[in-house]
Amino acid sequence: LCRGGLAERLCRLQNRERSAISFWRHQCISDDKIPSDKSGVLIVKILEIFEECTIQVAICQQLEQSHATLSPKDAVVNAEEPILKVLFTRDTAAHLKSRPQDVIHIYPPWQKLLLHNTDVPVIMNTYFSQKVLLNEHSEAREKTYGLTKMLIRKTIISLAQTFRLDDPDDGLHQESSDNRVASAEQMRNNGDSKQHPLALSAVNDSLLEIVESQGAVGWREVQVQVVIQRVYCLPAREGYRSHIQGNKPLWSNGGMFCRLCLLVQDAYGMFSEVQLQSLCSTDDIEQYCRRWEGKSCCLAGMKILHRTTRGRALGLFSLIDSLWPPVAPVKVHGQSQESEMMTTNLPPPSFCYVLTVQSGEIHVELDEEEQISNLYQPPAVHALKEILRIGGCNKRCSFWAQVLYQRLQTKHNIPIDQREILLFVTDSTLQNAVHGIPKVVAVTVTASCVLGMEIIEAFSAGSQLVFFKDALWGNGRIICVERTVLLLQKPLLCSAAGADLSELPGPVRLDELDSTTQTNSVCALRGTVVGVNESTAFSWPTCNRCGNGKLELCPQDRELLYCNQCSEVVTTPVLKMQLEVFLHCPSRSQSTVKVKVWHEISIALFVLLTMLLFLQTYEVQSVLGKEVGLLNCYVHSVTSHPNCVALEEIVLL
Amino acid sequence: STLPAVAEELLREIKKTFQQTSHVPDELLLGLKFIFGPSAVPALDLVDQHSVTRVRSPSGRTLYQVLGSSGKLYTCYSSCHFCTCPAFGFSVLQKSESLLCKHILAVYLSEAMGACQELSVSEEQLTNILLAEEEDEG
Repeated sequence: LCRGGLAERLCRLQNRERSAISFWRHQCISDDKIPSDKSGVLIVKILEIFEECTIQVAICQQLEQSHATLSPKDAVVNAEEPILKVLFTRDTAAHLKSRPQDVIHIYPPWQKLLLHNTDVPVIMNTYFSQKVLLNEHSEAREKTYGLTKMLIRKTIISLAQTFRLDDPDDGLHQESSDNRVASAEQMRNNGDSKQHPLALSAVNDSLLEIVESQGAVGWREVQVQVVIQRVYCLPAREGYRSHIQGNKPLWSNGGMFCRLCLLVQDAYGMFSEVQLQSLCSTDDIEQYCRRWEGKSCCLAGMKILHRTTRGRALGLFSLIDSLWPPVAPVKVHGQSQESEMMTTNLPPPSFCYVLTVQSGEIHVELDEEEQISNLYQPPAVHALKEILRIGGCNKRCSFWAQVLYQRLQTKHNIPIDQREILLFVTDSTLQNAVHGIPKVVAVTVTASCVLGMEIIEAFSAGSQLVFFKDALWGNGRIICVERTVLLLQKPLLCSAAGADLSELPGPVRLDELDSTTQTNSVCALRGTVVGVNESTAFSWPTCNRCGNGKLELCPQDRELLYCNQCSEVVTTPVLKMQLEVFLHCPSRSQSTVKVKVWHEISIALFVLLTMLLFLQTYEVQSVLGKEVGLLNCYVHSVTSHPNCVALEEIVLL
Repeated sequence: STLPAVAEELLREIKKTFQQTSHVPDELLLGLKFIFGPSAVPALDLVDQHSVTRVRSPSGRTLYQVLGSSGKLYTCYSSCHFCTCPAFGFSVLQKSESLLCKHILAVYLSEAMGACQELSVSEEQLTNILLAEEEDEG
């Protein structure tokens, strides 16, 4: 054998053990009484025995000290007592000759092993075991048993099952199991001979260890300490109800049910998405963000929903990537606990566990007065001009912007909860930009981005300064998807002076219509009227309170107009007039420019105009040649053959 | 069956402790002895002598070759528990007395402690290693 090698060491240990065993056995025989040293002794009652290879596996019930003195008849199988699997070597088993219902005393040093995904601990190194004969009657029985051989079931082990020493999916670190090989020595120090099989709750700092030791069953007693990096809402797939109030369009997910989620990170840099309450309303998201982001918390009572990987959850991992590398040193598995290393070379995570709360309550214990954690990475705020220059795809970005105009993408074959909103936004960097950079940028808000009612109502009220947190940038577009949060209030710890960027240098200017103008954008134009499409002339009354364009005749008095959104009579309706004009625009002189213009005037003025028109013949010719500009328009379509641009006049918020 | 899970856990624990401390504590060695019986010391001896080689081919196929005490080279499969040594045929296959032979145990222990030697061979060479065993027994 190699000098100083493992084999030599085991040889020595084994020899020592062998002498100890023979000494102990000798002592048991000569002493007649049970050795007096009771501490660390495991007392078990055998329920079932079978054999695997040469090891005897006994399913046992652990007994209290006091039970040992009762006769077998009195020692009723108590369901409360913990079950153990005790292993005996062939030699020990031959010595014990145990049968079901026998009570065995196992003296230290024995070893306990906790396996993955099972509650039943395994006891090994049971060399120092002794059967306890409780009375005269059982001693006689024992002698007769000794003569008859008991048939024990033997399990054949499959060769196909190999041992996995590490997890192949895990690129970050090697397998770390949460079992404890506790020797009797340690337990004697604790002074408690009755062992509870499950680990007692201690605050752990590794998500991976907790997840892999507890499995899908749930974490009943363990807690893990994490930092909350982000708070957001995910649309709830089940139980959603759509509310359509009158004719107001339902903005994507506005007021609908959603799930509050946390993206947390542990001391090892590992991320997990924790889905908290189901079906909450979207209105409190801003509050939760402000109170919880950046704080440390303890998770308990969680269950694993699933484990996801980069390829399957691009949205989640684009958010995780934006938080990588960590801003504070993280621990590395496999290193000694004392040294925390600055992990400059750690690869970004390739997998993430999605957890959920087992019961209906939030099991997040956090101290809201606590300081912001070092590991917290607030969203990096950039100006829109910088964002437009970011290379790459699927990058999360955060910015402040003034929302100028919003448009609901109305496609009738798409259900209401999947509609997209187009927001046109700008900031001072775009407004001040030189040629080549657009003055206004379109942000698509998909249905998966949950918007609070507060934001939606704010958009209707007027131009808003909105913080877009963790929007997605790619392929020249900014989109708000799942995990993007739109906030009106300034979040805590915003890097970069967002306030300065939002101060616009005067009235908003749009890019002028030119050859680069695209569909679904906004622009400004000026030109001369070269034609009028009379067939499109149209006027209709609208409610002066809510703008409802579908007024009805009052049932009681057919001369009055009634608005069913306000549920009131409209006494002074606002008249909207619409007309399509053809313009010649010098900035895009090759195209036919068709603009739908509309105006609102009060009914009184309309009456006056009608009278005037009646008196004077209204000539289309009088409109031709008129200068129009600067109109703000939304571009409906741009076609090259024929070379035509169709726009609609808009009013910015 | 209980024993394989126990053996796996013990080996995992050895790997984890070794990675953290570069040392295998006495309890784990005694645990090996308890579970694997007479194979434990010979297996550790094979590890001490770096007798285990992991052979890999470009397609990703692997197998292990263990240099036995007699100087003979035995082949252990990586996809299931199999070894070409006579002890495996007798104790494991015939009598179901052991979970593993000392060579397979040495493979696991070498993996756990990073003591495997590495060898890259061509597809053809790997095939020949596998077929060579058949020729010997035939």
